[in-house]
Amino acid sequence: MSAASLYVDRASPIHRLDPRSTLALVTAVFVAGYAFDDPRYAAVPLAAAFVALVAVGGWQNFKRLSPIVAALFLVGLVVWPAFTAPGGPTLVAVGPVVLSERELLFALARSERIAVFIVGGLLFVTTTANEEIVRGMRQVGVPYAFCFAVGTALRLFPTFLEAAGTVKQAQEARGLDLSDGGPIARLRRSVPLLIPVFMTAFRNVNTQSMALEARGFDTRRERTFYGARPLSAADWAVVVAAVGVVVGVVWLRLSGYGML
Amino acid sequence: MREILTMWRETRMVMLVAVVAAVYAAVLIPFQTFQIIPGITSIRPANVFPVIFGIMFGPAAAWGSAIGNLIGDVFGGTFGPGSAGGFVGNFFFGLVGYKLWGNLRPLSSGVEPDFREAAGRQAAEYVIIAVTASAACAAIIAWVVDLLGLVPFAVLGPLILTNNALAAVVLGPPLLYLTYPRLKELGLLYPDVLREEDLSEGNAGVSTTLAWVLVVAPLAWVGIGTALSADAGPELTSVAALGAVGMLVVLAATVLIGERLTGILSRT
Repeated sequence: MSAASLYVDRASPIHRLDPRSTLALVTAVFVAGYAFDDPRYAAVPLAAAFVALVAVGGWQNFKRLSPIVAALFLVGLVVWPAFTAPGGPTLVAVGPVVLSERELLFALARSERIAVFIVGGLLFVTTTANEEIVRGMRQVGVPYAFCFAVGTALRLFPTFLEAAGTVKQAQEARGLDLSDGGPIARLRRSVPLLIPVFMTAFRNVNTQSMALEARGFDTRRERTFYGARPLSAADWAVVVAAVGVVVGVVWLRLSGYGML
Repeated sequence: MREILTMWRETRMVMLVAVVAAVYAAVLIPFQTFQIIPGITSIRPANVFPVIFGIMFGPAAAWGSAIGNLIGDVFGGTFGPGSAGGFVGNFFFGLVGYKLWGNLRPLSSGVEPDFREAAGRQAAEYVIIAVTASAACAAIIAWVVDLLGLVPFAVLGPLILTNNALAAVVLGPPLLYLTYPRLKELGLLYPDVLREEDLSEGNAGVSTTLAWVLVVAPLAWVGIGTALSADAGPELTSVAALGAVGMLVVLAATVLIGERLTGILSRT
């Protein structure tokens, strides 16, 4: 696995799941995170996803992304009070800034929702290798040609990422300064970086296509995957549990729980 | 429009999808020239790719941009329900270019997008396409993210529009000038790769009218959506309904507009 990937190679129970079961599990987390406007309820899927992420070895991934999570959480807290109706006692009244209890709770719940989505997504990519993602897509019925394109792109991506980094270093060594000036000046200076990266990439498209066709590549024929297997009892248990969580969460919401 | 699906029969188009996706994702992550909100959005040179690839590679660029953005989410750690909006938004970011090039009469230059002849008119045509594609992408992503209750439309829509359009407008003309002839020589332009029967020019008058509808609709969607979102309560139903209408209009226009690059190439 490339250094750019967030996949962590462990033997945790979630790692051993079929990618379809992991997706069902993460979808249940997403639905639970989406369902509630009350931050006390929204905190439950966030805590569950975070504990699961740490348990499967995703702490380093979380640490790497923590500035983004913190920034998005903060933006949610700042932005959402302006987009919801006030209610309850006034908590802050400093000049033009007036913040009611309802506005604060609503914003907190939305920020938690953002965090649930990021941590849930991180749980999926931490426990599911790229090859498994592609295999899972095929097994849920995504057309083979599309899966092949995704799989090939995932394999080419680290190579191009490395090439992009090398070109950047080479141009900077020649005196290219990307950190000076306004946004338009900086954008203009990126032209010498972009051309070598994508011309190198496209130069080989014809030969790669010929190589594929020489090996009998045909997008319309059914293909098999080496790691493809039916869902095990554990996979089915996770799917059933995920469906149960979704049903439970929807029932709670329809019964009036978790609302402001 | 059927080339969007039939292109998957062509090995070279499938490879183009993969390479567009990989290049887009590879440049998207390391090159962030100007942070607008640290950790959230920045001006990225890679945002020029869906537009110029769209003009040159047609439907392969649409699928490639969508997949590339998804890969960026998977490797960047932001994979989640919002990635669905990113997928569809970037699909249209790459789709608009080849649908509009040559269809914006009387403004269209009627020549290949290489900025070697009628450069002024090509630049005007390109700027309209870049802004339209950016607006379509911005409106779709902001709509989905708003529906998910993550960030209000009024915050994200204008931000993505500015972010995408700036990179596409500034970088597009020099990149097309430098790379279009080489990619044409390699035989990678979509009219050279797709089968003749899969490409449809459609009715010129209808295509022109719908092309201008496609120019106006996403910009109106961003503008009206921003105004509605800024005044909306927590349910934001009006933004949701506007988005449904906007999505239908953009989809219908792109389906019905015929492409023009094949005709332009056959005249040269």
